[in-house]
Amino acid sequence: MVSNTIQFIYNNQICSIKNPDPNKTVLDYIRNDLKKIGTKEGCAEGGCGACTVVLGELKNSKLIYKSINSCISFLPSLNGKHLILVENLMSKKNQLHPIQEAMVKFHGSQCGFCTPGFIMSLFAMYKNFKKFNNEIIEETLSGNLCRCTGYRPIIEAAKSLNNKKDNDHFKKDQIKIIKLLKKINNNEIEISYKDKKYFSPKSINSLKKIIKKNPNAHFLSGGTDLSLEVTKLRGEIKNIISLNSVKELNFVKKNKNFIEIGAGVSLYDFQNIIKSHYLDFYNILKRYGSVQIRNVGTISGNIATASPIGDTLPLLLSLDAVVKINNKSGLEIIPLNKFFISYRKTKLKKGDFVYSVKIPINKKNYFRAYKISKRFDDDISTVCASFNFLIKNKRIIDAKIAYGGMSEIPKRATLIEKKLNNSVFSEELFLNAQNLIEDDFSPIDDMRASKNYRIEIARNLLMKFFYEINTNSNIRIN
Amino acid sequence: MKSDNSLFNKSIPHDSGAKHVSGLAKYTDDISEQPNTLYGAIGWSTNAHAKIKNIDLNAVKNSEGIVSIVTHSDIPGRNDVGPVFDGDPIFPQNKVEYYGQPLFAVAATSMELARKAVLKAKVFYQNLKPIVTIDDALKKNSLLFKPRVIKKGNPNQEIEKSKNKIKGNFTTGSQEHFYLEGQVAFVIPKEDNNYTVYSSTQHPSETQQIIAKMLNQKSNSIDVLVRRIGGGFGGKETNFMTSAICALLSHKTKKPIKLRLDRDDDIIITGKRHDFYSDYEVGFDDDGCINGLKLKLASRCGMSPDLSLAINERALLHIDNAYCLTNLEIKNYLCKTNTASSTAFRGFGGNQGMMAIENIIDNIARHLKKDPSEVRMRNFYGKKNRNITHYGMKINDNVINEIFDDLKTKSNYKKRYSEIKKFNQKNRFKKKGIAITPVKFGISFTTIHLNQAGALVHVYTDGSIHMNHGGIEMGQGTHTKIAQLVANSFGLPYEKVQISSTNTSKVPNTSASAASSTTDLNGAATLNAVSKIKSNLNNFIKKKYKIFSKTEPLYKNGNIYIGNRIFNFEHIIKEAYLNRISLSSSGFYSTPKINFNKKIFKGRPFYYFCYGAAVTEVTIDTFTGESVLDRVDILHDVGNAINPALERGQIEGGFVQGQGWLTMEEVVWDKSGKIKTFSPSTYKIPAINDIPKKFNVEIFKKGLNVEKVVNKAKTTGEPPLMLAMSVFFAIKDAIASTVNYKKTPVINAPATPEKILLSIKKLKNIV
Repeated sequence: MVSNTIQFIYNNQICSIKNPDPNKTVLDYIRNDLKKIGTKEGCAEGGCGACTVVLGELKNSKLIYKSINSCISFLPSLNGKHLILVENLMSKKNQLHPIQEAMVKFHGSQCGFCTPGFIMSLFAMYKNFKKFNNEIIEETLSGNLCRCTGYRPIIEAAKSLNNKKDNDHFKKDQIKIIKLLKKINNNEIEISYKDKKYFSPKSINSLKKIIKKNPNAHFLSGGTDLSLEVTKLRGEIKNIISLNSVKELNFVKKNKNFIEIGAGVSLYDFQNIIKSHYLDFYNILKRYGSVQIRNVGTISGNIATASPIGDTLPLLLSLDAVVKINNKSGLEIIPLNKFFISYRKTKLKKGDFVYSVKIPINKKNYFRAYKISKRFDDDISTVCASFNFLIKNKRIIDAKIAYGGMSEIPKRATLIEKKLNNSVFSEELFLNAQNLIEDDFSPIDDMRASKNYRIEIARNLLMKFFYEINTNSNIRIN
Repeated sequence: MKSDNSLFNKSIPHDSGAKHVSGLAKYTDDISEQPNTLYGAIGWSTNAHAKIKNIDLNAVKNSEGIVSIVTHSDIPGRNDVGPVFDGDPIFPQNKVEYYGQPLFAVAATSMELARKAVLKAKVFYQNLKPIVTIDDALKKNSLLFKPRVIKKGNPNQEIEKSKNKIKGNFTTGSQEHFYLEGQVAFVIPKEDNNYTVYSSTQHPSETQQIIAKMLNQKSNSIDVLVRRIGGGFGGKETNFMTSAICALLSHKTKKPIKLRLDRDDDIIITGKRHDFYSDYEVGFDDDGCINGLKLKLASRCGMSPDLSLAINERALLHIDNAYCLTNLEIKNYLCKTNTASSTAFRGFGGNQGMMAIENIIDNIARHLKKDPSEVRMRNFYGKKNRNITHYGMKINDNVINEIFDDLKTKSNYKKRYSEIKKFNQKNRFKKKGIAITPVKFGISFTTIHLNQAGALVHVYTDGSIHMNHGGIEMGQGTHTKIAQLVANSFGLPYEKVQISSTNTSKVPNTSASAASSTTDLNGAATLNAVSKIKSNLNNFIKKKYKIFSKTEPLYKNGNIYIGNRIFNFEHIIKEAYLNRISLSSSGFYSTPKINFNKKIFKGRPFYYFCYGAAVTEVTIDTFTGESVLDRVDILHDVGNAINPALERGQIEGGFVQGQGWLTMEEVVWDKSGKIKTFSPSTYKIPAINDIPKKFNVEIFKKGLNVEKVVNKAKTTGEPPLMLAMSVFFAIKDAIASTVNYKKTPVINAPATPEKILLSIKKLKNIV
């Protein structure tokens, strides 16, 4: 069944919107159509968290809650979800939710403008976890900026929730919401609004048909990059094909030798899958945007947009990941190393889409990754470096090194690798090899850093990797 | 008149706390619009310095949804929003002077359509050479005012005589306010060409005056209302462009207009903190005591004067921080550059002046191979002697010595100082640093006439209270604290006091909510109104019930105790009303004792000083230059606080904002004057993981304001920002450890990872 009407739950009721403007943001809808003013616009680019709302959705018949940036989410993405706003948290008798109570009690708001966003991020945490330690709290709130408080009282408020039993009205209404979600969850979406179109197919087959008919359409995954075309550049995206509901793209395959991640898997889910294999991959993913971004953004989105500073790309490159793409002749496997052509250009041709990414598991290898940015959280890399080494008897058998932020595409350090391979793992070797950085890369000056600084830290990170492996220790300050 | 003290020193939550957390607190953009409302957007210059040859707005006019366009020719009155001096044209006629300068504005049927339309303008420029940096401006003598020279004693001779001398220079960077709520205004036309203006401003009275002058009308035709703003930090003190343009659009269309800058436009169009450059020469003895100091102090003021004169003056007034400088010469240059006009920002130049002297003191200590904390103490003002400032004010409330001693003990400074040295010997790549720095910050507007405030208090016949004053609620909790004062003075529960919007038609001629003075001034004015009402009541009761007691009536627990009689407050209010007693009053306050002769730079510009100190311990990564704050200990004097929790909020928030200024926040302009950092993706303010891993904040318990400020409290608005100076000097200390403290690091603020790494390289002579 194909429908031109999106359906979602708001206020315990099914809301239906026929042919909504596919370029309208969820925030715009909330503030201007629902006339709910608690959700704020701080930046219109998913960088401050003031617009955070929570979406409830079914996963294996269980309700899970995801915080998202409503300022960069398009309205049709609400389809099949339960939309929760800051105004919905109070009980029917106008009692504050335990999170809200805690924030008042601990003086967690000053000017109050960022506060609804903090409340909603905390709400998702409160529903998804049972205990809230510092790590969880800080991860939860790393995408919410506050300019007044200095965060300490907000952290205290979050910690205090450990003593509160979750019996809020969402818990009480859970069965009802699950029933409603099941009721609306089934249609493929095809929207026409003026000259704009939006498709959300549910299977690869219908996805392919839609692509055939709409070869110029933009693929939308998390939309954290694509949406800026509208919210920042004031442009329009005429045709959008959402990959989010395609069942076949939402999978994780795992065996001894590799992990394969479907294009639809969110970065947040991915970080928890990769953690046990490559701890540094997990550490870097935790600094990839915010939870709100990672809840919707995908690793294949990161690959397809091919940004020179895409945080997962150097890591995947050094791990020798391969991309499965769907093109006219079916599935094709391309080593990631061959995938990027030039600035934001890839081997993907019109109508091709990323199907999955396959990451080899090398238990014997040393894998380390480093991200350097002005701010620890939610910042774009100045330089990101990733090292994947197989060392036997003090000899380097296989060195794979990749850098982001050093070139117009994320790239392997081929000359350095060559220098290192088949040599004895030694300080002298690395000191020599680091001088090849400028042969492998010629970075640029920009507002984040100078060319010289990029070169300098690229060299230093190579050395840092050496010392970390050599001394079997962690030389990090964070 | 006595009052019960139960509401003082009480940490009740912010008056809007429950509304903040439930999304019910309304900001200007949240006010619902009438159906005929139009939406504004500003078209701005994409050239930093150029003659305007022609502006072609045809495509704009024909863009979907456009109802009206305004340019300079639509302005009936003054085409300028400069608060003190001219220089900030709303729309320039002939010449653009910064990238982002407004050129025209539109009104459209939706905000989206308005914003799309302004991008369609075709502007033809004749390029002029832009002046972007302080260096450039000094070379080309591009100055807003004549350089100013402040001199005390004989610095040349004292430096000459000194056994030790050093020279150097130092820069602190700009900073974007990044209030979470951007600039926004909502203007509704009323009859008789009157306008109601809702604006996110720290200064409603000046908004009123600027709009009146622009429209060539009288101030009494403009009402400005502000319930709350989503952060200000100085960035909404004089940025009148948004409300002025919004009012102009409303004037032309005769329709309500809402104009909200999106984040990019907000950062591009509005001014930021002044960068400061200092060049110094200092002579000192073997203990590090400064004998003589000569300084050149230059700031990037942007394209117009705005408040730059006052900001530079505060820098000059705080060049001493907590140190007695007896022989001093400062030359001050206000550089005119083709950047947005630099403006007020928490600290208001004081912090830039203080960083200059702290860096000098730090360098003296490193030159002498001494613990910088000892050199700092050696230079402190004394209580009985060495207590006259370089502008001739006698300091009679000095507690910096006690605070420093207390904090050094509490934070275990000495032990940690030597442990850190050991740590650094053992660790090759990670280095630690520690620093303790003092804060002494003068409170009052240095423009004396601004130190006044008004208030309006009504008691209704049911005994409920309505309170108004000139202060703006921007997160600091001024309404909460003043409501506490009012409730306390009437002996009523806090809930009886109704807080409402700040409103120019209720309290006129107000000063900006700035200079950390909002609660001091407006609290006193409000209490003045309360005391007048109480005086009416007391006289009525005494006369009616023939009470001749001379003891002060006591207002407590909803009762009034006079002589040996007790009257229920609500009952007596009704009775007073029936007996035709006035239950409403305005109030007024002006700060006593202060005077300052700007010409000769002498007098008492400050009613009192705030003091505090902070110890920061950092670790830096010598591979990358990254830094983390391991621990911060703060001891800060807030006097006898009205609401300790709100003061603590200011201390912690101010510290983190200062930390951002000195570590990660970097405003970048390219050579052509185009700003490159205009959104959270390129401009980074501290996030949750940046705050100190251990954060011990204490209020100085012995603190008491020696002046007659309400409750003997001290303000906390700006001073805590400067506690973060300790972060910068801890980083510098860590850098020094890379050469075993043998040389003095050279590093400017902000200490970004890049600057830290470069400083290490320079120190090791690698560069």
